[in-house]
Amino acid sequence: MSKNTLVDIKNLSVHFPVHGGVFSKRVATVKAVDGINFSIDRKQIVGMVGESGCGKTTVGRAMINILRHVAPDVEIGGSIEYHFGDEVVDFAALSSREIRKYRSRVQMIFQDPYASLNPRMTVAQIISEPLQLHTNMTKQEQTERVGWLLDKVGLQPEQARRYPHEFSGGQRQRVGIARALATNPDLIICDEPVSALDVSIQAQVINLMMDLQDEFDVSYLFIAHDLSVVEHISDKIAVMYLGDMAEYGNAQEVYHQPRHPYSKALLSAVPLPDPSRKNRKRIVLQGDVPTPLNKPSGCAFRTRCPIAQPACAESKPEFKEQAKDHFVACPIVE
Amino acid sequence: MPENQEISLSILKKRWLKFKTLKRGYYSFILLIILYTLSWFLPLLINNRALVLSYEGEMYFPVLSGYHTGAEFGQDVPGEAVYRQLQATWTEADNGNWIIMPVYPYSPYEDITAVGNKMYDPPSNTHWLGTDNTGRDVFARLCYAFNISISFALVLTILNYIIGVIIGGSMGYFGGKFDLFFQRIIEIWSSLPMLFVIIIISSIIRPSFFLLIFIYTIVNWIGMTYLMRAEFYREKSKDYVAAALSMGQTNFKVMFKHILPNSLVPVITYFPFAVVGGISALVGLDYLGFGMPPPTPSWGQMLDVGLQNISKWWMVFAPVSAQFVTLIMVVFIGEAVREAFDPKVYSRLR
Repeated sequence: MSKNTLVDIKNLSVHFPVHGGVFSKRVATVKAVDGINFSIDRKQIVGMVGESGCGKTTVGRAMINILRHVAPDVEIGGSIEYHFGDEVVDFAALSSREIRKYRSRVQMIFQDPYASLNPRMTVAQIISEPLQLHTNMTKQEQTERVGWLLDKVGLQPEQARRYPHEFSGGQRQRVGIARALATNPDLIICDEPVSALDVSIQAQVINLMMDLQDEFDVSYLFIAHDLSVVEHISDKIAVMYLGDMAEYGNAQEVYHQPRHPYSKALLSAVPLPDPSRKNRKRIVLQGDVPTPLNKPSGCAFRTRCPIAQPACAESKPEFKEQAKDHFVACPIVE
Repeated sequence: MPENQEISLSILKKRWLKFKTLKRGYYSFILLIILYTLSWFLPLLINNRALVLSYEGEMYFPVLSGYHTGAEFGQDVPGEAVYRQLQATWTEADNGNWIIMPVYPYSPYEDITAVGNKMYDPPSNTHWLGTDNTGRDVFARLCYAFNISISFALVLTILNYIIGVIIGGSMGYFGGKFDLFFQRIIEIWSSLPMLFVIIIISSIIRPSFFLLIFIYTIVNWIGMTYLMRAEFYREKSKDYVAAALSMGQTNFKVMFKHILPNSLVPVITYFPFAVVGGISALVGLDYLGFGMPPPTPSWGQMLDVGLQNISKWWMVFAPVSAQFVTLIMVVFIGEAVREAFDPKVYSRLR
């Protein structure tokens, strides 16, 4: 762990109990996230990829501690240690009340720009809300800051008194970005920020986010399922499969020399705009993703792995640093 | 902030504009507002006490100052002055005394003991809707009862809403054990035969306006909790709530600043119909004799005596048509509100 570390996640697990029967007994557990380790440095962009339902959104939501309000009985294990200056704050251990004062340091951009803005509030009200909560700005200073932020995200300050439904999807997502940046956070969790947008708008928003990252010196956890987007934007890439982390390393390395068989399969599915490379080998995985209610023993990926061996069923593979800063959860490829 | 700020209309304002285009509901709304506002000034419009009178150079304001004996104004009557008679004699005598009566100079409380009142007087120029079995003016009672009915329904509905929104909203928002506990309470509570409970209570305690409101609120808050629980339950999983929480907003603020404004559609569209329910409830209780204590003017009580004297058509006609007109106006408003608040318009969330 270097001095530059912003957040260090150790053995994070998020389990949702499933109740059933006459007496609402606990009948099963959905292991949405099952013991993952990674860290994000300051001013770093970490891309997180994986199929639908692999737990990447849950990781993001656990990191800003908003799971409990929808699922009060969720069990969060491990630690999420933020390093704010000299303070070390573990979001997994503190209560919501204690976390409240650190909320301005970690913000989130949501996937659906239609659902993430309150339709009854004007853009100015939406963006100034975090300012009211975390700063002592006067009304005048807030309006100025809102105008400045709108300008930064490529909207006109004149639009501040409009309502969200008067904006397009891309514009709304810009409002969401402005809201996340309002308090100068250290980390922004971007939960598939562009997947609800038109392809033509996606590029604009991603470029905007990269420019703002430079300007605001903020770290991103960029959750997506589009690998080429993630490769374009990220310093590091984390690949998740069924609640486990398969591979974590520098973006170029993971993208161009993936080690874990799942990463290889995932990357071979990326469409390439270059026709000369169309002959590359496409790895097609057999079967479906197993349910997180009943995960396979040992390595979760073994049921679909092209190089699986009997030993894979016995114990969970160690998430090991196979090369410098390149962690892989597969002993076979070492 | 630049000068050329673009101001756009909130969803509520747009819905109000839409409501204005629905003429039937809009004019009912305006008319009802005017009538209800006027009904607060009824003592100045429909009363047997004079507004202003000048007796031997001195001014009196009986409507405001209240009881004056007849002797004070040189009138030979026992008890309170009879201002209508004073007006007649002074106009005839022309001795510098003058008197201004309200537009309709009869009180809802004066019965045959007052000079000149007769029982079962059919509608005429003096008594527009005749008099009832105790000689009280039907029109005066009708108007006063309008004020009481609407006030009752409004206070009742608003109280129910406050309780229903807070409890139902908390159930939906917090869920878990809190939700379970209140669901069971509501199930038990709603299975009690409430009409009988009200009748029993009001036959033990002498009912009054606020006691009736209190009893009805105890019973009626349940209806709103169902709606609010469902609304809050659905809204709380939306991302704007997650966003508010992730910036550190308190639960209270999230509930009432973020979720409630997005849950107002059922609250507002249901409101006129709840008012209709409130008016009918009071009429029903009054009709059965467990409502407002006599001689409070009330439509239910008028209907009751009207039915006992069914041959005197005006005594039945008056309260029935007053109720009919009032309720149908409220229903028109409700209909227009429902159309104006169509959630499919202006909101891409639902």
